Amino acid sequence: MTDPSGARRRPDHLVPVPTTGNTGRVDDADTLLPAVARGDEAAFTRLYDLVAPRVYGLVRRVLRDPAQAEEVAQEVLVEVWRTATRFDPERGSATGWVCTIAHRRAVDRVRSEQASADRQLRVAASAPTVTHHDDVEEQATRRLEQQQVRRCLGDLTDLQRESITLAYYGGHTYREVAELLGTGLPTVKTRMRDGLIRLRDCLGTAVAR
Amino acid sequence: MNDIHTLAGAYVLDAVDDIERAAFARHLADCPSCAGEVAELLETAARLADGTWSVPPPRLRTDVLAQVSRTRQVRPGGGSGRDRRTAGSRWRTLSVAAVAAVVLAAGAGAVTWTVAQQRVRDERVATAAARAETERIRTVLAQPDLAVQRRGLSGGGRLTVFSSPGQDSGVALLADAPPIPADRAYQLWLMDGETARPANVLPAGVNGDTVVLTGVRGRSAVAVTVEPAGGSAQPSTSPLAIVPLT
Repeated sequence: MTDPSGARRRPDHLVPVPTTGNTGRVDDADTLLPAVARGDEAAFTRLYDLVAPRVYGLVRRVLRDPAQAEEVAQEVLVEVWRTATRFDPERGSATGWVCTIAHRRAVDRVRSEQASADRQLRVAASAPTVTHHDDVEEQATRRLEQQQVRRCLGDLTDLQRESITLAYYGGHTYREVAELLGTGLPTVKTRMRDGLIRLRDCLGTAVAR
Repeated sequence: MNDIHTLAGAYVLDAVDDIERAAFARHLADCPSCAGEVAELLETAARLADGTWSVPPPRLRTDVLAQVSRTRQVRPGGGSGRDRRTAGSRWRTLSVAAVAAVVLAAGAGAVTWTVAQQRVRDERVATAAARAETERIRTVLAQPDLAVQRRGLSGGGRLTVFSSPGQDSGVALLADAPPIPADRAYQLWLMDGETARPANVLPAGVNGDTVVLTGVRGRSAVAVTVEPAGGSAQPSTSPLAIVPLT
């Protein structure tokens, strides 16, 4: 398992791309989050600007209610500040970490709301919604990301895709997903897992082009 | 134990109940390879948030920053160790994430740069035509059916093409292309299968620009070649990049 020569190191060919004279925009979540962990509020403000639309958008997509989404997004972003000290860069990206917190919180809210039954099973596995944003640069990046995810989702089987999107965007448990799709529990569990594995490989290879 | 392992996907998607979550977390603590898989799948699931971006109301920023200024941070360590993973999978995730960051940073940089170029030129030339061009670029970029493709040029640089079949137009961004002499120019071509139809010719000696393309509907790709200044009727050199339109 372990390489006896100890040669397994972090790849050093992945040096940052030189910025061609454009100012700013060198911030990325992976460098900001450790600064936030040291209590740097200015770094948190920059991190906020970077991740807030992603957090708010995801929470809103799951909750389908702007007012609740705002509330939950606030909880998530304060949680990011509070627990930044627990972020371990060796376990994944900062953006991934933030999204994981956001999704968990959104789903918790959905579950607690479920009793009041104001949400219906109309949550569709539709294409991601797009909000107009004025910034050309953000737009290009976002669209490239979106296209990639959509393309990779398109490569899954229908059952894999529906299982994943109903759970992720709809906030449903796998039991609910099984009911919605009229499939057995073991099948849904398996499709979620092998669908994600396929998605991982697709996103991985497409990115490393 | 094997049975609980099949919950990995549902766990990552937050599609388990609290009891299952706790049971699975316990399982992860004893199964380093499962923890590795889960960490990777969490990273994958987070990408599903890519398409949900939405600008929050400005007061959220004020509220969050105010609350942060009076919120104490937790002490380091003591977090759950459930996502520990093996060296191999860690390397893999890191590299994928790092490559993604680099790719996206490069793309964003290129766009900023070319748009900045455009702006500088606009200011210098300060003609109504240049302003109209900027306006056209904005219009194309706002189309709901906009698709984006990006390819590297042989020799360096990138060609990014936004296309809107509905508007029959697009925007091409050439960035960091190899420098060319002052009597040469980069020229774009709209490909119709094997047939190249001349499109925009960039100013002579210029190796980066943002231009509006027209007549993209039904075309298969956009290609870029180096031509004599002023452009050619047919490509005289082989394409440095071919960007598919679909």
